[in-house]
Amino acid sequence: MSQPVRLFCWHFMSYPYAPADFDDKYETGWITVPNKLWDREKTQGLLNGYIDQLAYADTLGFDGMVLNEHHQNIYGLMPSPNLIAAALTQKTSVGKIVVLANLLPLHGNPLRVAEEYAMLDNMSNGRVIAGLAPGGGQETFNYNTPAAIQREQFWEAVDLIEQAWTREGPFAFEGKHYPLRYVNPWPQPQQRPHPPIWIPGSQSRETMRQCARRGHCYFLSSRVHGGAIAKVREDFTKILEDAGGRYDPFRMGILMSAYVSETDEQAREESYDGVWYFLKNCLKGHLRNFQGRSMTFGPGVPNVDLADYRRVLENTKPGRAMLGDADDFDALMKAQSILIGSPDTVYRQISELIRETKVGNLLIQFHMGNMRDDLARKSMRLFATQVAPRLRQESQAVFASAFKELAETG
Amino acid sequence: MAGELQPFHEGLAQTHRLIAPAHPGCNGSTDFTQGNRVDDFLFHYHELFDALKLDRFALAGHCVGGWLAAEFAVRHPERVTKLALIGATGLFVSGEPIGDIFMNSNPDRGTSLASLRHMLFASAVSPEALHRYPDGRGELEDEMRRYAMLRFGSAVGFRPPYLYNRTLVDRLYRAAMPSVVVWGTEDHMVPVAHARAYAKNLSDATLTLIAGAGHAAHLEKPADALVALQPFLKS
Repeated sequence: MSQPVRLFCWHFMSYPYAPADFDDKYETGWITVPNKLWDREKTQGLLNGYIDQLAYADTLGFDGMVLNEHHQNIYGLMPSPNLIAAALTQKTSVGKIVVLANLLPLHGNPLRVAEEYAMLDNMSNGRVIAGLAPGGGQETFNYNTPAAIQREQFWEAVDLIEQAWTREGPFAFEGKHYPLRYVNPWPQPQQRPHPPIWIPGSQSRETMRQCARRGHCYFLSSRVHGGAIAKVREDFTKILEDAGGRYDPFRMGILMSAYVSETDEQAREESYDGVWYFLKNCLKGHLRNFQGRSMTFGPGVPNVDLADYRRVLENTKPGRAMLGDADDFDALMKAQSILIGSPDTVYRQISELIRETKVGNLLIQFHMGNMRDDLARKSMRLFATQVAPRLRQESQAVFASAFKELAETG
Repeated sequence: MAGELQPFHEGLAQTHRLIAPAHPGCNGSTDFTQGNRVDDFLFHYHELFDALKLDRFALAGHCVGGWLAAEFAVRHPERVTKLALIGATGLFVSGEPIGDIFMNSNPDRGTSLASLRHMLFASAVSPEALHRYPDGRGELEDEMRRYAMLRFGSAVGFRPPYLYNRTLVDRLYRAAMPSVVVWGTEDHMVPVAHARAYAKNLSDATLTLIAGAGHAAHLEKPADALVALQPFLKS
């Protein structure tokens, strides 16, 4: 049998106290959203509460906890996910700690990232999954990273980190962007040869090729429906084979959101505030096209090469609806990225997704926007107890029959 | 020369021998491979001038082209007989930041480029502005050309932040040749304070403001821009 699907709990740690008229009054939730809106009274204990939710996920048996790095926005209050990861090393004991990711061009020197991940790997007893990413459009503005050379800088930084963990030190790194005379980091990571490296991408062929060549897990960060994910998985499978490798479900991960309650109706009612806060406020400036100005991708953030940009233009329509443009629950359900319902409903949707996509790492956001702590925990609990066991069980057979090689060797 | 000549160029070409190279990657020219610093692009032009056997010549530039022209002039004043800058980036002027062309290049509400037009032209609704940067998505090749231009702009100008070289102002005195600084009074990208800073710090410069023109003064008011340049180049 194959390994079962791995189910991770992702926390974005959004700012939950934007005013009720935020969408009417403010152009964006990103980069220029005025930080006078930060409420020093209400936010006391906010980050610790979020950390506790992730620690709770560990007790519920999730395969891991996922963090990300974002700057100057209300979508995610984790400019330094490694700080949250450090807290989790002390508060959890079983699940993986997935930092997805450290945005390398924003760090002064990637050697520091290699060092911090090595520290976290030791502090967590080998539970770190090291995400590495170049940063999206927003980050070119937040940290003045030149978009045109962002990717080139990024892959050199990945080289440096891989070598820092695997080559005997001290050695000289002859980089164009990060030349170093002495690379010799202490401590070394606990995992051998090094913590798993996951690299997010939004369908850039270059990113898939690099993941294939380097042996890393490709995490699809685009919020697209099952059919589109399956298409990406097919492309990635081909790219892996061209590189002399082979696809298995754990070479890829995807992102989704879920809210589970006793009934479909109750799930919609309880998640209403959090979901729409997330869509209309947190995604404004990111995944909304009809309001605000999306900074995630486009001509103003020229970070992909000409061939990739041409491919995007040929395959998309201008001003198309994005996730945050959904106006009601039905439109949202069609997008297949935020799953809301009873345990049976959510189980059926994810089960279908697993069959269709054959992806083995599902990274699921539970807390959305300004969702109350008790509701987020309830949804996580119902998922862990009534959805996850069924998915784990049946995914073994799904993966095994889809990938005979896995069945034989796994 | 890649791409088409504008009326401003046609006018100049009537009285002078005009060579108007596109920046690397821009206007159908091949992508830049030289590097990503101002110096890298200066070497590109150095080699171009050598290849064309241009020993001494008048040098004019707009926006990033003006910045590169000023950088070349302070390094090789013996080769530049006259210098003309139009809406040039390149200087740091405290309290007068250069507008964010990148942020404004991403459409508002999915399709609107009004704020980009406002940045580049005197009016976001002028025919010239709407013709060059219409809302929605244009022809594929036009979009690709714009994208390539922004990639070049990002490579040359995003660092040092932002489309300037902080040390350039102290070197402008080295450009001893006669210079003219031409600027639209309605330049919403490079504030007129930058025109004054260039004119003040270049050794021998006059400042000509074109009333009612924006950042692309030579496209919006070609006749006025020619009046500013042609007698100067002839004298």
